[in-house]
Amino acid sequence: MARGGHGDEDEEFDEVEEEYDEELEDEEEDEGKVGRKRSRSQFIDDAAVEDDEEDEEYEEEDEEFGDDDRRGRRQKRRSGSEFLDLEAAVDSDEEEEEEEGEDDFINDAGADIPDEDEGRRVHHPSILMPEDQEDVDEMERQVYERYAKSSHIEYAEDATDVEQQALLPSVKDPKLWMVKCAIGRERETAICLMQKFIDRSDLQIRSAVALDHLKNYIYVEAEKEAHVKEACKGLRNIYSSAKVMLVPIKEMTDVLSVESKTVDLSRDTWVRMKLGIYKGDLAKVVDVDNVRQKVIVKLIPRIDLQALANKLEGREVPKKKTFVPPPRFFNIDEAREMHIRVERRRDKDTGEYFEMVDGLMFKDGFLYKTVSIRSISSQNIQPTFDELEKFRKPGDDADGDVASLSTLFANRKKGHFMKGDAVIVVRGDLKNLMGWVEKVEDDTVHIRPKMSGLPKTLAFNEKELCKYFKPGDHVKVVSGVQEGATGMVVKVEGHVLIIISDTTKEDIRVFADHVVESSEITTGVTRIGDYELHDLVLLDNMSFGVIIRVESEAFQVLKGVPDRPEVVLVKLREIKSKIERRINAKDRSNNIVSVKDVVRVVEGPCKGKQGPVEHIHKGILFIYDRHHLEHAGFICAKAQSCIIVGGSHGNHDRKGPDPFDSRFGGLRSSQFLQSPRRLPPRGPPIDFGGRGRGGRGHDSLVNKCIKIKSGPMKGYRGRVKEVTGPLVRVELDSQMKIVTVKREDIADTNTIATPFRESRYGMGSETPMHPSRTPLHPMQTPMRDPGATPLHDNMRTPMHDRAWAPMSPARDGWEDGNPGTWGISPQYQPATPPARSYEAPTPGSGWANTPGGYSESATPRESSYGSAPSPYLPSTPGQPMTPSSASYLPGTPGGQPMTPGNVGLDIMSPTIGGEEGNWFMPDILVNILRPGEDSNVGVIREVLMDGSCKVALESAGNKEIVTAPPSELEVVRPRKSDKIKIMNGSLRGVTGKLIGIDGSDGIVKLDDTYEVKILDMVILAKLAT
Amino acid sequence: MFFHITLERNMQLHPRHFGPHLREKLIAKLMKDVEGTCSGRHGFVVAITNVEDIGKGLIREGTGFVTFPVKYQCVAFRPFKGEILEAVVTMVNKMGFFAEAGPVQIFVSNHLIPDDMEFQSGDMPNYTTSDGSVKIQKDSEVRLKIIGTRVDATEIFCIGTIKDDFLGVINDPGAAS
Repeated sequence: MARGGHGDEDEEFDEVEEEYDEELEDEEEDEGKVGRKRSRSQFIDDAAVEDDEEDEEYEEEDEEFGDDDRRGRRQKRRSGSEFLDLEAAVDSDEEEEEEEGEDDFINDAGADIPDEDEGRRVHHPSILMPEDQEDVDEMERQVYERYAKSSHIEYAEDATDVEQQALLPSVKDPKLWMVKCAIGRERETAICLMQKFIDRSDLQIRSAVALDHLKNYIYVEAEKEAHVKEACKGLRNIYSSAKVMLVPIKEMTDVLSVESKTVDLSRDTWVRMKLGIYKGDLAKVVDVDNVRQKVIVKLIPRIDLQALANKLEGREVPKKKTFVPPPRFFNIDEAREMHIRVERRRDKDTGEYFEMVDGLMFKDGFLYKTVSIRSISSQNIQPTFDELEKFRKPGDDADGDVASLSTLFANRKKGHFMKGDAVIVVRGDLKNLMGWVEKVEDDTVHIRPKMSGLPKTLAFNEKELCKYFKPGDHVKVVSGVQEGATGMVVKVEGHVLIIISDTTKEDIRVFADHVVESSEITTGVTRIGDYELHDLVLLDNMSFGVIIRVESEAFQVLKGVPDRPEVVLVKLREIKSKIERRINAKDRSNNIVSVKDVVRVVEGPCKGKQGPVEHIHKGILFIYDRHHLEHAGFICAKAQSCIIVGGSHGNHDRKGPDPFDSRFGGLRSSQFLQSPRRLPPRGPPIDFGGRGRGGRGHDSLVNKCIKIKSGPMKGYRGRVKEVTGPLVRVELDSQMKIVTVKREDIADTNTIATPFRESRYGMGSETPMHPSRTPLHPMQTPMRDPGATPLHDNMRTPMHDRAWAPMSPARDGWEDGNPGTWGISPQYQPATPPARSYEAPTPGSGWANTPGGYSESATPRESSYGSAPSPYLPSTPGQPMTPSSASYLPGTPGGQPMTPGNVGLDIMSPTIGGEEGNWFMPDILVNILRPGEDSNVGVIREVLMDGSCKVALESAGNKEIVTAPPSELEVVRPRKSDKIKIMNGSLRGVTGKLIGIDGSDGIVKLDDTYEVKILDMVILAKLAT
Repeated sequence: MFFHITLERNMQLHPRHFGPHLREKLIAKLMKDVEGTCSGRHGFVVAITNVEDIGKGLIREGTGFVTFPVKYQCVAFRPFKGEILEAVVTMVNKMGFFAEAGPVQIFVSNHLIPDDMEFQSGDMPNYTTSDGSVKIQKDSEVRLKIIGTRVDATEIFCIGTIKDDFLGVINDPGAAS
């Protein structure tokens, strides 16, 4: 190991001293750091003192140690660690590296690990088994030998890869163990171990390494775990209980390899500070001293002038800094006002003048600070425009180039330039020469210059070129925050482009280096997680909105507040769910507005805007106006303040002469107005009631007002929507909610509910239950195929008006239970007098009879209704008085819950409704039968309230999700040994395996209990895999 | 820029139109189909001036429709980069203003508006020079230069500038009134 002369030594010493000073200086600002650093320096001194005891022996050694003239206290001080750190220092014959002393050795160690390994392998055995530790000569010889040898190895440096491979640790080599130690004491611990190794001959460890970047752990090299434990015993920084972990052979090299950081710091590079109060701050390199490993950086100072003044005046400065002063330019006048002495001095190196305050250098308000290269990070610095803007002092745009080129280059990706790119030379003699890339070879780019009279191609270093764009170019951003966006360049400011985004029509500022020319048009990211641009989403506090922009990690959501556009930025997790229900609302003239209808806003701030409705939720429309530039073209308005374009306006007028209750205006209008061009007005709304009643259930319980008498929902009152086996789905009166309760938990409230029931009859208000199902139909057939049959048209009405529109008459009446409002019902339902008369004498069973009554009375509809109700006839009148009509269910499985949704279909295919069970449940496989399409297999993901299902296409359920009404769904019948789910009966929801089929029964082995059950095949559905 | 060009198109005609007025029907349909459309290559078809030739019709099997190859002359409007256009301002906002020159929508970013013109928000958002002599607001007529075009399948969108000599407001009905 070559060493410099004594003089050098001193100088080096000074440097170190200086470094410490500097560190101390840093510490003034950063109390937190002090502890650690000081302890380190103290520790080194301590070590030196400790070493003194052994000095005698080492002194000797030192003196005789080779031919170099190392001497002095410092040498001695280091000797201990030097010795133990042999491996580290061994092969590094570079003086500079050495000089860094203990700061460096570990890195050095890592850098040369393969060689070192070799050295270790060759020599360790001898050195690790010293016969006699006292035998200094012997040891010294060994050490010397080791030096010589290893340096020899190093010279044979041009080792091939294969040779390098051979140096890698193998099973025969000592292992590396990871030992937990006190945090912040890693180095100390490692040195303690070294010392221990020197002191004691019986230690069998080979080396101890503390890594700078690894807190809480040190590495110990040894053959056996026991050796490590032995060595660690008694060290105060290592807990005796600490586990010793083996580092796998493969990872051993990684532990000690250091990424060769070719820190290519040059002037004007943007860096970030790693430590102190400036941590994270952007800084610009002003000067680099590679020899001293120091840089001068320019920062925006964070100085508390008051504190500084206090300090200078010798007043007590509170030790603890409670806050970090905000970055602010230094103002001399301000400082002078506070009686801070500002000196003006000329820097002897650069010849520039600086303002000196308390040892800090300022210029133009910036702080010039000398820091160690280690304390700044220069990799992947992507200064934001804000930061750069701050750095650019007003009136300082002489260079006009906000973004320093060197930084841009540092972040360039490989293959940055492509043939055909327009480039401009930014450095050298040919600066500002424009041209086109012809060829790229590694770092060299051949360009075809635009100027004539120059050679055909010129070769440039990649760093001398920058991409060049003209206003009007259509570009795509390929990196940076705006990645993915496209737009047209409107302005070029140096190496910054201003782009008008294609989609948002907003300005984007990007670096020229981050874009490529492209004709593609995209918005950038349009999706995070399940949410996509323009989705309607439900937010945390029950508010909702449309996603109008997707940013890198958040969405901009235009909230559903009609009065003023309210945009919020939400994170992914703040979104509860996507709202996908297709619902309708009523416009000002009570026309039904559904998605995609074109509406015009007639009042409110967005008055006059017009566009198709994209989403509807709670009576709020989200309208997309192409000409509206804000909020991605979305406008949020109350449905009531909009008018459907092309819709009828006469609806209000209609209401006047209309003999029916105004609440039925909607009902009627829906019938007429929804499709005024499509269909002639239909007959009186008698159909709804009739159909409603006819289609309604077979269980006398359905649609009854009940009270829940036990269970968690005890005391609630509601209306039965559906009966499935032992469970009853009840729509609560008090909450807009459907709950499922056990059948035995409910009590019929016949007596209380008489007024309701009466009214129900009058107008067929049983329908609230149907509507919840019917919406499916309108969604497909009537809307897309308006001309199909009158039937469809009928079908959609109940849905619009009753269940979904918030103002729906059915619900209104039903929720407030005001019998008065129902008074007109007879008029409304003139065709069903028989039903009424029925009900009067038999209040309790009235409705069970209705189907009968209906089919008799509803002659006008009979033709269209076909035979649908007839299957029920035999059963219903037969058991008029049985409220708990469990016996029904087996007889008409599926018929009951299904019919309402199915009425329309019944006519076409009466078989489906009656015979198929479709208590659809999530996770079961279904066939989607759509008219005009092939049947698709899908997996039910969710069953909506109205009975329709969200179905994910493909049997794996990984394709798009569609919403389908039950009428379009057919349960995939399981085959033998398929996994199944039971859709009905007491075991509803239970999964199992179909182990056999016996006629119409399936033999099922339940997953949970392993019981074998025989169940009707009808209620079994194949489970999605 | 306007062009008078000859284009060809295969027209499908429903059999019910077959008869003495077949040609008229065909031309009417052609006009209905073609005028006002936009193609990236030729730009907007403004008007059909002449039908040069109607080829022999071919009956499609199954449908009974007949396909005629029709050659027609039309006036097409296609904006080009660097072209100077006169346009009517349709909307002004802080990012710039939109103007229309016939079917073409042109956006003039505020970066491309002379620096001495400032955005004034309010009831009638506008760009006004510091002395108030020139004002760009809705319905103003401006002369602008197209610096970039984006051609979609059905639309041509342009970006223009008025930051150049002899560009800017040429007539302002709003200011006059």
